[in-house]
Amino acid sequence: MKRTRRDALKMAASAPLAAAQAKRVPLPKVVFAHAPKFFTPAEFALVDELTEMIIPTDAHSPGARAAKVAAYIDTWLADVWEPEPRQIWRDGLRLIDNLCDSRYNVSFIEATPKTRIELLESISPDDDEPKTMEGEFFVELKKQTVHAYYTSDIGIHRDMEYKGNTYLDAFVGYDPK
Amino acid sequence: MLIQARQSEPSVDLKRVYDAVIVGSGAAGGMAAYVLTSHGMNVLLLEAGKKLNIESELKSMEWPYEHPRRGDMPPGYHGLSSREYAIRQPPYAAESPYKFVGSYVQTWGGNDYSKNIVVNEKDHPYTGTPYAWVRARCLGGKTNIWGRLALRLSDFDFKARSHDGYGDDWPISYADVAPYYDKVDRLLGISGQKENLPHLPDSLFQSPIKLNYAEVKLRHALAKMERVLTPYRAGVTTDGVNNKYRQRCYRRGACNRRPGGCDIHAAFDSPTGLIYPARDTGHLTLRTHSIAREVTVDADTGRASGVAFIDAVTGQIYEAKARVVILAASTLESARLMLLSKSSQYPNGIGNSSGHVGHNFCEHVMGPNVTGFCKELAGKPRSLDDGRPGGFYVPRFRNLADRHPDFLRGYGFEGDSGTTMFPDNANSAPGFGAEFKKRVRQEAGAFISMGGFGEVLARYENYVDVDPDVKDRWGIPVLRFHYRFSDNEKKMAADMAAAAGEMMEAAGIEVVDSDRKVLTEGWSIHELGTARMGADPKASVLNQFQRSHDVPNLLVVDGSSHVSASCQNPTWTIMALAWRSCDHLADEMKRGNV
Repeated sequence: MKRTRRDALKMAASAPLAAAQAKRVPLPKVVFAHAPKFFTPAEFALVDELTEMIIPTDAHSPGARAAKVAAYIDTWLADVWEPEPRQIWRDGLRLIDNLCDSRYNVSFIEATPKTRIELLESISPDDDEPKTMEGEFFVELKKQTVHAYYTSDIGIHRDMEYKGNTYLDAFVGYDPK
Repeated sequence: MLIQARQSEPSVDLKRVYDAVIVGSGAAGGMAAYVLTSHGMNVLLLEAGKKLNIESELKSMEWPYEHPRRGDMPPGYHGLSSREYAIRQPPYAAESPYKFVGSYVQTWGGNDYSKNIVVNEKDHPYTGTPYAWVRARCLGGKTNIWGRLALRLSDFDFKARSHDGYGDDWPISYADVAPYYDKVDRLLGISGQKENLPHLPDSLFQSPIKLNYAEVKLRHALAKMERVLTPYRAGVTTDGVNNKYRQRCYRRGACNRRPGGCDIHAAFDSPTGLIYPARDTGHLTLRTHSIAREVTVDADTGRASGVAFIDAVTGQIYEAKARVVILAASTLESARLMLLSKSSQYPNGIGNSSGHVGHNFCEHVMGPNVTGFCKELAGKPRSLDDGRPGGFYVPRFRNLADRHPDFLRGYGFEGDSGTTMFPDNANSAPGFGAEFKKRVRQEAGAFISMGGFGEVLARYENYVDVDPDVKDRWGIPVLRFHYRFSDNEKKMAADMAAAAGEMMEAAGIEVVDSDRKVLTEGWSIHELGTARMGADPKASVLNQFQRSHDVPNLLVVDGSSHVSASCQNPTWTIMALAWRSCDHLADEMKRGNV
């Protein structure tokens, strides 16, 4: 079934939030150094998880969580002048939780890593023209994660091992043999 | 800064008659001030904007993570998107709820470093056909953030009509300008590599920027097609110049990562390259926050008597008096000022007996952009490729010896490749997770891209005039655009994308993206032609020394004087012509001929 933007909105709005909450087991206590200014603590935990899934820690370098990508996005949304980004994030996070709940009967943060990946893969669009509301949110989530991670200390120096922005005597280039 | 400026300006003596008053402090106005003060003339330079403490604006070495918004403008600040230009008509910011609206340049990364250099579009509306007009109002104007590509024109450009029958020849040839290109090269410094091309003459180059692997590979492939890929010819001193305000380039690369700018001034900018040295002669008086409103006229002689201007801070109107008035406010602002300067002697605007002021408006068409993937670079150890003020340039190859069936004139490509601070492929690589992260890392340095800049034909029908109904923040009537690309530009743009793809493929580089969309008129920031030179006073505004045919003591030394756009970036030509005209003016004044 091809879902329209309107259907997705309707679905997000009608999801039985209370029921989802009743099923929720107490979350493990995670203490974040960043006190969220825009996100609720639950939203912040979800963003922290989602961004780490987009750019995870691997053998090469730390990922989005270590680079404090969620905190950067939270600060941006707290200060952003336009109302739209805040609405997109608030709705998008709820959409992800509701999708997870309707498909797997569990909230995203409580789902197994395999389930979470399966869900994100299912909403990740094949091209840059998403056709669903959740696909649109995935594009936004990835875009902001990429921006925040690759402009961070960890992204620039540890992951990309960027060597520039320094004083050099000569241009570095390629000398053909 | 405001307080400083306010304190310094009352000291500007407006009772005095200066030898020359110059309107505008960018490449053209800076050069006019430099040359005329070097001849001992007393010059008053009027700048509409403020004097910025530019080093603290640009902060070229600041890392993204040291900035609270990673280099982005504050909340409530907005840059116009390509979509906004495409779907709307100017004025683009008239109804905007934002506090500040900048042109599209303010959508680039690092736009917080240029937000005080460019204008707030809300204060500076314009009307008519779509046009992405980029303006800077501060000492030095757009030279504070310009793209640095510094090219010469050749007789393929100066004598273009003789070559293909279209438009008009310039009233000068390359031989007239060459000595002044040399002077500009020596004074300001230019980086590049000799290629001995008749259609893109070499400069007196300092050390070239080095090409990286993919660029060398493409250069070799192009050589077989009798085309050239040469290191970016940058208006940047790589070996140093004799100027205490400037340092040589230290390959930091900030100018190429951001909207532009160099806080050690290795890249040319008008204040450190021209205006401060002019001030050091003791012959230059500078007044900022001075918005020219009208060229005033002596009712008895018909000569220009000075410039009436509005103090941008107080709103008060003043008049500066001078023996000669020199306009250098930019192609469009100089035309606006001439059209606004109506009097009984000059009912159509000063210097406009021909009716050509505002007409023959031309620039460069751009948009088509091709990206290639050099697969053997994937997974290679990190290299440093962006410690340089630009990548490469592919000079024009169309309509030189042959004749293209679809369009007149030609285009060149600007391009870049290799690793950068921000991996652009992270925005296009599919998926997420460890695979995505690894792919971004491994492929980041393997891309090469190039975009075309094509000559827009100068046509009388493309013009600006003054809108009788709309005024800017200071109550000055604004410009109204009547400007569209023609079929020639559209066909040329189609050929750009095809040719770029063909060249990449010839080099064995896989084309991964080919954007064929033509960007909104004005995107090149190379507007030209609105007060063209010519031998015939009925069909041109200025003579070959950029002096008005109608008013003997009025000069227009910016890009408005250009007869055709060529496809080469205009800044170096603007400065060479301004130098030539001001040398000539100084001689004529000494002889009592002006």
